[in-house]
Amino acid sequence: MSRIACLLVPDLPVAAACRADPALAGRPLVLVEGSGPHAHVVAASRAARARGVQAGRHTVAQARALAGELVVHPRDAAAERSAAHALAEVAASLASRIETAADGAVFLDATGVMHLVASEAALATALVTRAARVGLEARAGVGAGMTVARLAAEHGDGTEVVPPGIEQGFLARLPLACLAPAADVATTLQRWGIHRLGELARLPVAEVVTRLGPAGAALVRAARGEDERPLAPEPLPTAVEEGVTLEYALDNLEPLLFVLRGLVERAVARLGLAAIGCARVELALGLDDRGRDARALPLAAPTRDVKAILGCLRTELEGHPPRAAIVHVVLTAVPEAIRAMQMGLFVPPGPAPERLATTLARLSALCGPDRVGAPAVVDSHRPGTARTVPFALQPAEGPSRSPADTVCRLVVRALRPPRPVEVFTERGEPVFVRGEGLGGRVVGTAGPWRVVAEWWSEDGVARDYYDLELTDGGVYRCYRELGGAPPPAERGARSGSLGRWYLDGVYD
Amino acid sequence: MSAAAALLDRLGRPGDVRLGTAEAQTIPRLSTGLVALDRALGGGLPRGRIIELAGRRSTGRTGLACAIAAHATQAGETIAWIDVEDALEAETVAAAGVVLARLLWVRPRGVCDALRAAEILLGASGFGLVALDVGDARSPCPPPGWPRLARAAERSGTALLVIEPQRQAGTFAALGLEVTGRRAYWSGGPGRLVVLDGVESRVMVVRNPIGRPGQSLVLRQAGG
Repeated sequence: MSRIACLLVPDLPVAAACRADPALAGRPLVLVEGSGPHAHVVAASRAARARGVQAGRHTVAQARALAGELVVHPRDAAAERSAAHALAEVAASLASRIETAADGAVFLDATGVMHLVASEAALATALVTRAARVGLEARAGVGAGMTVARLAAEHGDGTEVVPPGIEQGFLARLPLACLAPAADVATTLQRWGIHRLGELARLPVAEVVTRLGPAGAALVRAARGEDERPLAPEPLPTAVEEGVTLEYALDNLEPLLFVLRGLVERAVARLGLAAIGCARVELALGLDDRGRDARALPLAAPTRDVKAILGCLRTELEGHPPRAAIVHVVLTAVPEAIRAMQMGLFVPPGPAPERLATTLARLSALCGPDRVGAPAVVDSHRPGTARTVPFALQPAEGPSRSPADTVCRLVVRALRPPRPVEVFTERGEPVFVRGEGLGGRVVGTAGPWRVVAEWWSEDGVARDYYDLELTDGGVYRCYRELGGAPPPAERGARSGSLGRWYLDGVYD
Repeated sequence: MSAAAALLDRLGRPGDVRLGTAEAQTIPRLSTGLVALDRALGGGLPRGRIIELAGRRSTGRTGLACAIAAHATQAGETIAWIDVEDALEAETVAAAGVVLARLLWVRPRGVCDALRAAEILLGASGFGLVALDVGDARSPCPPPGWPRLARAAERSGTALLVIEPQRQAGTFAALGLEVTGRRAYWSGGPGRLVVLDGVESRVMVVRNPIGRPGQSLVLRQAGG
């Protein structure tokens, strides 16, 4: 026997607006489409409806005439989309099969959920509680089908559970308006004396079809708690998206960060439902000049730390500010499981992952993203190539060498780019070197070692390398290019130099 | 004595000025991996302090710093290397024993950015060693910069190793090492392959206010 739960937010557009701006909660708020006094009211809060404002009937001017302290807001599709996705994620945190309706209500298959919650009542309570965590005031209902569950959510006590076999008793007392019949069908039914779902359910379907058509038959089946179709589960998008359309363009970083803080907090709350972290943040900014600014920020480690994510965003925006004022912001948090780092008993702890993410972002903003990372050995015969890979914390391992085994090795300080030098030779051997910041007679030589790399390409390398000790106290690594003619300055009375010489490293 | 009086004695009454405890604080040490140097330094580099490693070109200061970095990374420490001159060569550093995956390589575009990067890394905490390689820059740090770096290092407990041609931190460095007297060794001869066998130099502990200065040892660095 199937059991379906329904989670819905009454007046989702209004709830989405209040979720984006908590200051609007409780106020007589209307959402409008269009501009000016003739804009149409498309949604009204409870406080506004209490003052007589009706969505779909009144214009802004008419609504203001009814309620002087009305708050008028443009409808924000991005915020509504985010709220609807958040509600779906709440349902997905407790069930694997969910379906979202067009008005934002979410149905979930409650069969077998008892391994997560103690009872169906606990399921309804958990749904409402988790919806509150993501900023939505929701209602939940559980019943034998989607129709019963939805009506239980709309007209129950907020966490209504209709036990099996009691559906008819629950539905019977509900008014006809619960099913939202078409105006002509409602008029006909009222003329027949049908005012409650119980009365409608007792009508024979075949007779209703001949008089009211298929719409009437559907109403009768709904009054009996029968679904037109089974639950059609759908997959949820993997990324968590939060968006907001700004009332006025922002051209200052601090107010933008205030907006981003709200988006990040809501995104993190949604990620927390599934106990996953944010591995990458994608920011899409709609600009005042109708342009778009899109950027992606990878994080050093998946995290739900709002401060760390905001720190990365701040560093990115300070380093690369948008070219125009911002009117629309969409933040997408790409999720990834937070990897638990196994600490070692005898291994140092290392930097915290969330602080490391912010640190790497700040260093990248300071030095450039390609100048911060872990060095990597390039698998190539071409000398002088340097590469960095993204830096990531390494798992704890025990020490691999004892202090007695450490060998001190001479290393080379690379010169990038290699520095041209003048080398004077005798009988093919370097005897004197002169260049920027160095010079002296050669007192020790090793080489040459020939290095040939990528001979098939136009910028292939063919060099003879030497290690040279000079009287200026330095030990250098030089090379002579084997390709190309020597420059005119090097051809002269002295033995001269062969080819072009460069200094590409200093032993230190 | 009443409990309140005992508590006031322990915490101090308003207006009391405490001059420190009679017990000496033990400063945790980061082993250099070289037994003789650790012995001379009293266990290794002091954590949470500035250490200066000065030496002229080709004296082996970078090799010594790499040996310290190698030992730290092999012991599981995460370290950072701020490379002002973009001089780090991954192949030779890896051959020196540094675990590259545990080394965060930062290449700032000048000395000012390098100091800022050092502050950022020290502020992150968790790094066992931050090496600031200023290359041959003559004045790596304006005078007000040293106190800030010293405070940042102390707060984070990270050893800040400044590799420079001359010592410049003055009293803000807890340890000063100078590498001098470089002598290169060449093996081979006429008719045989000649290679750079290594460099021998002398490491002197010229400043060690928390230990014993004046010690020196011979450092032999093997060639590649």
